[in-house]
Amino acid sequence: MEEAIAILQVEHLNKAFGGLKANHEVNYEMKAGELSAIIGPNGAGKSTFFNLLTGYHRVDSGEVRYKGRNITNWPPHKIARLGIARAFQVSNIYPALTTYENVRQAILTQQKRTLNFFTPARLIARQETLDLLEITGLSEYTNVVSGNLAQGDKKRLELAIALGCKPDLLFLDEPTAGMSGEETHETMGLVERFNKEMDLTILFTEHDMSVVFGYARRLTVLHQGTIIAQGTPEEVRANETAQKIYLGEEA
Amino acid sequence: MKRYWWLALIFVGALILPMVIEVFWVHIAIEILILGLFAVSFNMIFGYMGQLSFGHAAYYGVGAYATGLLMVKTSVPLPLCLPVSMIAAGICALIFGYFCIRLTGIYFAILTMAFGQLMYYIIFQWYSFTGGDDGLQGIVPPDFLFGATAYYYFTLFIVTAALIIMWYISESPFGYTMRAIRDNTDRTRFIGINVRKYMLINFVIAGMFAGLAGGLLGPFNRSVAPDLCNWHQSGIPVFMTVIGGPLGFFGPMIGSVIYTFLFAFVTGFTEYWPLVIGVVITFVVLFVPGGVLGLAEVRMKILRSKRVKTEANESLDMESG
Repeated sequence: MEEAIAILQVEHLNKAFGGLKANHEVNYEMKAGELSAIIGPNGAGKSTFFNLLTGYHRVDSGEVRYKGRNITNWPPHKIARLGIARAFQVSNIYPALTTYENVRQAILTQQKRTLNFFTPARLIARQETLDLLEITGLSEYTNVVSGNLAQGDKKRLELAIALGCKPDLLFLDEPTAGMSGEETHETMGLVERFNKEMDLTILFTEHDMSVVFGYARRLTVLHQGTIIAQGTPEEVRANETAQKIYLGEEA
Repeated sequence: MKRYWWLALIFVGALILPMVIEVFWVHIAIEILILGLFAVSFNMIFGYMGQLSFGHAAYYGVGAYATGLLMVKTSVPLPLCLPVSMIAAGICALIFGYFCIRLTGIYFAILTMAFGQLMYYIIFQWYSFTGGDDGLQGIVPPDFLFGATAYYYFTLFIVTAALIIMWYISESPFGYTMRAIRDNTDRTRFIGINVRKYMLINFVIAGMFAGLAGGLLGPFNRSVAPDLCNWHQSGIPVFMTVIGGPLGFFGPMIGSVIYTFLFAFVTGFTEYWPLVIGVVITFVVLFVPGGVLGLAEVRMKILRSKRVKTEANESLDMESG
């Protein structure tokens, strides 16, 4: 059997904010094509982990490798250019631009056309943008100024922006926060589809355990900045430490 | 393109204008065009990039001095001086901008102002080259542009061309990338944009067009003075943009019409111009925060929605009838 290539390798990653060890000696690896989740209580270091991987924070020590290449402490735009996209916990969009313009911006950037000064933007990447809006179920809001969208739609728009970057590796920080039950499963279904059909490697964090156990094929439990358990959902469910610390009475 | 018929109409109006007004007002019209170009270039940084430059006069002044010096000390023809003005101002904007774009908000504004004052004092002190506080005198336009009307048409042509280029830039993917940076800098970084690089490019382009406006000013005034770089000169495009509205491309140009016309009118019978403009700015900031263009947009939206409603009502009436 062919061994899947590691798309992401993290070794001995450390980050402290003052005395708080937000990430401590984190070792992590992802194979291409995975759909995995990181779980852990608030303040476990999930967002910090994403911020370190995407260049938002500088790491204190340790190494991040993407497709074998050391990208530790690269600036965010260079990491994004390599094919790593992310969506934030609090929806991070362009509130004064329309939904269409939001998604088009990602596509124009991905196509390296943002240094074009003289072609009106409305003539470029039209079909790609409309297609992506269709896929993500945002078509009806095409010309709505995105700041006026409902919270769930904003999250979906940010997912569309991230997908517009045509990434190979995608980080989603609580992709369904603020969504209704129906919206949640639509969105996660979309995430799963992209993972299967486009071979997109996806890592997400989530508080909703039904989402975590329903979609992730591998789980990592983070607690106080340290990985305390890792494995298939069944293995993590059976893990005593994980149960005690995080899953607690729920499991 | 149908939406832009009114622009063509304004251009035709601008062509006819000097035939129907007195020479004094032709001079005012030239000033409106030059300062309008200056203000639109300022708004590339303010409205599109979301940063307040309070030292934009530096590039205006450098452009004015570049053309002024070339025309006084050499025999380079004016149409060739203007590109030199743009390049000189662009180089200046590249050097100052390299530092300014590292900051945002109030710090950006303060640093641009500091660099503006630096330029002012360099020009003020460098007697042997710039003439110091005497400025440069005797910048005479070539014969074919000597009269006010001829210079008006020349300015109209250059400013229109510059506005078309800036309009294209503002509608291009680059222009939308600037809006993206204004709206959400972090998001823009994380889709793969080198934000500082784009901000610097925009800063340089804005500086170049300010330089072009400055270049047009010298031959019009027959002189240039270090005051062109001073901080109150940097305030003029800010006022114009606030009055006209920063969120539309033509806002600063509308602001220039109002500001310059008002200036010419008010200073005709009182010396309390700062008081008058102070009251106007206060009024605009408090009651018309989007400027004239913002106000027009709101009105148009109300009109449109009314029309849609009436049409809807009519169709309802027809169904029921």
